[in-house]
Amino acid sequence: MKIPSLVVIGGKLALICTVAAVILGLVNAVTAPVIVENQAKALARGLAVIADQSGVPGAQVGEASTISDSTVVQTAYPITGTDGAAVGFILQLVGVGYGGDMQLLAGYYPTGELFSAQMMENQETPGLGKKAEAPEYMEMFIGSGADAPIPTSKSDLPAGQADAITGATITFIGVARALADGSGLARELEGPATGGAQ
Amino acid sequence: MIHEFTKGLFKENPIFVIALGLCPALAVSTQVVNALGMGAGVIFVLLGSNIFVSLLKDFIPEKVRIPAYIVIIASFVTIVDLVMQAYAPSLSRSLGVFVQLIVVNCIILGRAEAFANKNTLGSSVLDALGMGIGFTLALLLIAFIREVFGAGTITLFAFGSFDGVIEIPGLSESPARVIGLATGAMLVMGYLQALFNWMGTRRAGKPGSTAQDGAGGAAA
Repeated sequence: MKIPSLVVIGGKLALICTVAAVILGLVNAVTAPVIVENQAKALARGLAVIADQSGVPGAQVGEASTISDSTVVQTAYPITGTDGAAVGFILQLVGVGYGGDMQLLAGYYPTGELFSAQMMENQETPGLGKKAEAPEYMEMFIGSGADAPIPTSKSDLPAGQADAITGATITFIGVARALADGSGLARELEGPATGGAQ
Repeated sequence: MIHEFTKGLFKENPIFVIALGLCPALAVSTQVVNALGMGAGVIFVLLGSNIFVSLLKDFIPEKVRIPAYIVIIASFVTIVDLVMQAYAPSLSRSLGVFVQLIVVNCIILGRAEAFANKNTLGSSVLDALGMGIGFTLALLLIAFIREVFGAGTITLFAFGSFDGVIEIPGLSESPARVIGLATGAMLVMGYLQALFNWMGTRRAGKPGSTAQDGAGGAAA
């Protein structure tokens, strides 16, 4: 093949790529702010729902603190009652599922007991791992973490719940391990001042 | 010319006859709402890529046509993904990684290579619409059977006070879970393909039909 024809072929392909890049840049410029806003709204909604489920009327979510010494727990939000007393923590967790990282929000009492959890962003399989997004999915973990450990394997679950996770065992293990790590960290955090957090 | 539209619905149905795009079809067909979302995404990408490939067929050099098609297809998929994330975040979360995987859906590249780069814009648009709607209808049929028998529900889009989930009495309490799993997907797909083959064979046997009419997809 002659060099000029190579240049023409390469040039045409480069032109197609350039036009595609420009169009995608424009679409991204329009959609990026909306996507960021959606993510912020989803986080705020998740925090409010979990704070409500702490069982303390009027519970408030405090300022976020970044957790630097954990690969699972990213951020901690202290929860306080209307009188300023510490109620517990909401932790932003990262679990490893079938489709990669899964973002979770989980609420703990200072004893490490899980009182609420929500699956946030994830790439799990629709109809299988995605079932973890349903609020009832987390019921198998709620109430554990203090006296009873958080179930981290299928054999720790009653028969009915074990059936419910069939086909999505990797998702279950990813969620369970992240929640268990969160429970351990919640016990270490000393109060709204967030010892261990930066 | 209307044949370019209708062939994708039955005679050359992308899933049941040509057997293209099976991986995403099997993966997302666990709920009816996923089939609707995935179908809409595929119709948009197929239409966009067929239009551009048909318009640029004389401009795109033969030696780099596949990379050029992939750039066009990937661009449309990225647009669908970003628009869904921005304006239909719940659907985007529901479909997960399968929106991005439209880029490797064989139907899209297959129609660009086998049809749009040899035909006029009008024919390419009709081909894209027919194939896209045929894919969506096939996906809906598989998803409907799998969700009804595998979960005892029909999941649609939520609106107002309707949460989007219709529970089917009797089945929702004790569904045949295997139908919702990968094994069930294969079983449902296999039986439906057998049904389409049988219907195609019957049609081919009618006076005035040729064998190719009945097995148009295989021939294509």
